[in-house]
Amino acid sequence: MRGTNLKIALIVLLTVGFYTLVANVIPQVESEVPRELTLGPGVTPEELVAAGEGVYHGPGGCEVCHGLGTRAPRLLTAEGALGLIGARCGLRVGGQDCKAYLYESLVKPQAYLVAGYEPIMPDMSRQLSPAQIWAVVAFLQAQGGEVTVTTDDLGGALAPGAAAGGAPAAGAAAPLSATMDPIEIMRGLGCFACHVFRGEGGPIGPELMKIGAARNVEYLRESILKPDATIAAGFERFAGLMPKDFGQKMTAAQLDTLVHFLANQR
Amino acid sequence: MPRARALDRLVNAARHPFGKATLILVLCYLVFKYGVAYVPPLFGVRSAPVPASVLLQFMLTALAGVLIWLSEDEDRWRSFKEPIRAVLVEPDKGRIRMALLVLLPLLVGVLAYQQVKPRVVAPVGLRSIHPAPPGQITFRGRTMRIPGLENPLRAGAEGGRLRQAYERGKRVYVQNCVPCHGDLLDGFGHYAHGFNPPPLEFTSSGTIAQLTESFVFWRIAKGGLGLPPEGTPWNSAMPAWEDFLTEDEIWAVIIFLYEQTGWSPRTSEETGAAAE
Amino acid sequence: MLAALAALLLSLPDVALAQVAARDTAGAYGYFPGIGSRAAVWIVAQLHLMFAAFVLGVPIFAMVAEAIGMAGGDKRYDRLAKEFTRLLLVAYSATAIWGALLVFTLSSLYPRFWGYLTQVFSVSMWIYAALFFVESFTLYLYYYGWDIWKEGAAKLWHLGLGVLLNVVGTAVMFIADGWLTYMMTPPASVRPETAPGTVGVWTAIANATWMPINIHRTIANVVFGGSIVAAYAAYRFMAARNEEERQHYDWMGYVGNFIAISALIVLPFAGYWLGREIYAYNEQLGITMMGGFMSWLWIVQAILIGVLFLAANYYLWVGMARIPGAERFRPYTKWMLIILVGGVIVWATPHTMIATREELVAMGGSHHPFLGVFGVMSAKNTAVNLMILTTFLSFLVYRRANSRPVVSWAKTATWVQGAIFATAAAIVVFYGVYGYFVPAIVRIGFSVYQVLAVLATIVSVTVLDIFLVRGAESRGAIRWGEMPERSQYALFILAVTFTWLMGLMGFARSGIRQHWHVFEVMRDTSPWAATPALGYAAQIISVCVLIFLGLVGFVFWLTSLVEKPVPAALGVAPVARVEPRFAPGSTGE
Repeated sequence: MRGTNLKIALIVLLTVGFYTLVANVIPQVESEVPRELTLGPGVTPEELVAAGEGVYHGPGGCEVCHGLGTRAPRLLTAEGALGLIGARCGLRVGGQDCKAYLYESLVKPQAYLVAGYEPIMPDMSRQLSPAQIWAVVAFLQAQGGEVTVTTDDLGGALAPGAAAGGAPAAGAAAPLSATMDPIEIMRGLGCFACHVFRGEGGPIGPELMKIGAARNVEYLRESILKPDATIAAGFERFAGLMPKDFGQKMTAAQLDTLVHFLANQR
Repeated sequence: MPRARALDRLVNAARHPFGKATLILVLCYLVFKYGVAYVPPLFGVRSAPVPASVLLQFMLTALAGVLIWLSEDEDRWRSFKEPIRAVLVEPDKGRIRMALLVLLPLLVGVLAYQQVKPRVVAPVGLRSIHPAPPGQITFRGRTMRIPGLENPLRAGAEGGRLRQAYERGKRVYVQNCVPCHGDLLDGFGHYAHGFNPPPLEFTSSGTIAQLTESFVFWRIAKGGLGLPPEGTPWNSAMPAWEDFLTEDEIWAVIIFLYEQTGWSPRTSEETGAAAE
Repeated sequence: MLAALAALLLSLPDVALAQVAARDTAGAYGYFPGIGSRAAVWIVAQLHLMFAAFVLGVPIFAMVAEAIGMAGGDKRYDRLAKEFTRLLLVAYSATAIWGALLVFTLSSLYPRFWGYLTQVFSVSMWIYAALFFVESFTLYLYYYGWDIWKEGAAKLWHLGLGVLLNVVGTAVMFIADGWLTYMMTPPASVRPETAPGTVGVWTAIANATWMPINIHRTIANVVFGGSIVAAYAAYRFMAARNEEERQHYDWMGYVGNFIAISALIVLPFAGYWLGREIYAYNEQLGITMMGGFMSWLWIVQAILIGVLFLAANYYLWVGMARIPGAERFRPYTKWMLIILVGGVIVWATPHTMIATREELVAMGGSHHPFLGVFGVMSAKNTAVNLMILTTFLSFLVYRRANSRPVVSWAKTATWVQGAIFATAAAIVVFYGVYGYFVPAIVRIGFSVYQVLAVLATIVSVTVLDIFLVRGAESRGAIRWGEMPERSQYALFILAVTFTWLMGLMGFARSGIRQHWHVFEVMRDTSPWAATPALGYAAQIISVCVLIFLGLVGFVFWLTSLVEKPVPAALGVAPVARVEPRFAPGSTGE
């Protein structure tokens, strides 16, 4: 009796163990939860395109049909003489520009059906946020066309905190990320609180729009590291206001990037 | 006639269920391992060796099948077990028993060692060497459209200015690029051996000769990290030169690359035609 | 030292709890220590489902067995039915306990989601409870009335109770199916902003996948019930104390296996319908299931189903040793085996292969240039249809082995049967090969032809066979009880595999929603929103299977405590040759 029970237990354990082993040696793929997309008001077209690419290949799951299959038009390769999606999107529906057409295709996919395909596309607004949808539109426009999605389109889709504060409140204390984008660096350091640059910022320090025309690399580097070494004409009353610890807040590479970037602003 | 007797014994062994089972498994192995790889090409069908994981799966299935065949008939099952039992208990099989006792643990040991011994294996992945460039990039905060982008140093440049650009580019190349891409532009710089995949060479017809200058600009400015996923950005040591070179310097070094190798860049019109 | 360790262990969940609390300020989720809320609900739900399948599948089995016993006058079937209804009593309370646990875990760990569900389904939940009540009392009447209503019209009334039990039980399952299919395929009119109270109950229940799931689960319950009955019989066979028990449980194992495999053969078609509905509801949902992150799950499923087919056929072939006259068919089993093994190899060949860098270079990608042919649906459909045909042939041979038809047209009919088989196999292979030369949209239609050919074969050959063996002479009594122990292992493997497969398919069905509670309506914002990889899922499934089998074993043991030995009168009629039973060389003569 005990022998029988043992044999049965062994059979059961071996079978269950075998299945568990098989399921564990094959490639392990986890379905990640898509990240919420938070876009500030100063979002650049490139950021939008990058975010859209992430959505396209990730939570949007677009490529499963629009990739190499025959279920839906291919978006990232040319379709005959019409070219890539960014080039052909404006030609699909008369009177509808590229942006409007792409947006409608995402949220009302059955409104216009490309000839030769079944109406199988789901309404993407059910699973993507408005910001994600606009990011996908921007990404698709970038495929052979001009990105025309702007912050106006995003409207309510912007992250509330970012929309109110402009520059992230991180400003002073929080450590700066390792970004090499000079705009990001400046935003992270809070430069636009005092300096005007492309319509952003305040009039406490010199404008930076054409700073490279008047100042060279050495001057700019010194001004950032030792703000009080030379005070620009007309700003004497604000002398001493600029923080003196920017040298500790960014890496040498970031400083170098920033200095060269500013020197190129002519 | 010892030879005839030996042959008889061999035939008997092959007719015995144990022999048959062994033969079937060996045959299956040969078919899966070599048959799949080498027989279809004889008929003009492309094939390749079967990956080890699939081979294991096939052999396990075959083994299950053979065990079912052996044990679904009582007589066959019993005579299959006979030699095993004989080796395990019969007094006159002592030598074979001892040999098995040594060989089997040894085999297991070798297999285990093969499994756990440290190996340097690159992660699996497919790499597209010239992936599609993005529509636009941000170069030092400025948005640039890549398709159709022309080299400003070429536009309306008479011989003298092109010569100057070439000289500037040459200096940039020698100062920054030679350690990896080599002084002959052949991808054999001093440090080239330390990289896998190796640094790109520019002299053959397969690299910059196939690319537009805008593509080359994108690759230099954004470096390996700027590659899209299909280009495996984690698998390239190329720095993003936008942090170190100005726009003018990059365009100049591009002039140098093409002038030095003698290739002329692919033009945007051609790319457009190719896309059609 | 120990205290410190205990304190450390205790503090771990606290840390996790603090993190969860920080992320979840709305109080939408509770926290289960150690394994987390998702795994807790998962295990409880899976165990509830397994017991529920057991208490739904076994009554169908019992009812059919009782009816056969009434129609044929074979007392064995009646005894079989009653034996299983007794198991049901305990299993039924286990189901209820796990169900209550599920409600408690759901409402305490997923309060916001549970609140949403109750708002949508409140009415149906009351009906569910009422039906559950009716079901319980019908079951009591059915079991305790067995020996009172056993003659004439009373027996008919008793069978009616059995039918009622099954109808109510199925209705209960249909209601619960409505809840879970709503999570997967909510009606298109329901949007994230829709207030749950305004969703019509009937609209919510009658969603796209409700009926396919109902049908699929009903058939699967029969398979499950049959396989558990067979495993029970195998256990009792191995532990038999005398010859009568041995004969009885051998026979019971055969009946259980027969019912399980008969239902299994039609199960893929129901699954196919369910898959189509999922695709029709949302293409992306279907692709996530078949081609997305779950694509490897189907290779595991193929391996499991391969094991099912091999084990079921093996059991039949070994069993042929106890049937006089079966020797005629011995030489053919190896060909059937070759088809089955070939089918398993083709069916489990992965499309995207696991390969090292060198192997990938040799293949020129992760698709094998030659074996890739086996990786696509055409090959797999062909393989599985041929395997179904072969299994059916095994059954047919088993059934025919013992009889010598007396009708004059017997030879012709056998030839016709063979011709039908050959035609079906030819159709299956033809469309399988032709599928490579047509576009995907045409190819999908081909699988319907293959399925129809196989179904038509099963129906027509069975009908022909019924008339053929009517009044046939026997070639000698089946020597029940004369079965080697290893054949019983096959029955255990079948039961374990079915149970595990149920867990795996449950993961597939529930997992394709990914990070949604209700697909595209209600987001899962808990820390466990990511859908786990197959390896983790397999571990949870294995834990559930082991707990379930342990509890079922306990139930079996409980009922055996009060059991009297089988009276000889109810056992199988004594057979001519019983001894020596399993002395070597006694079989296959």
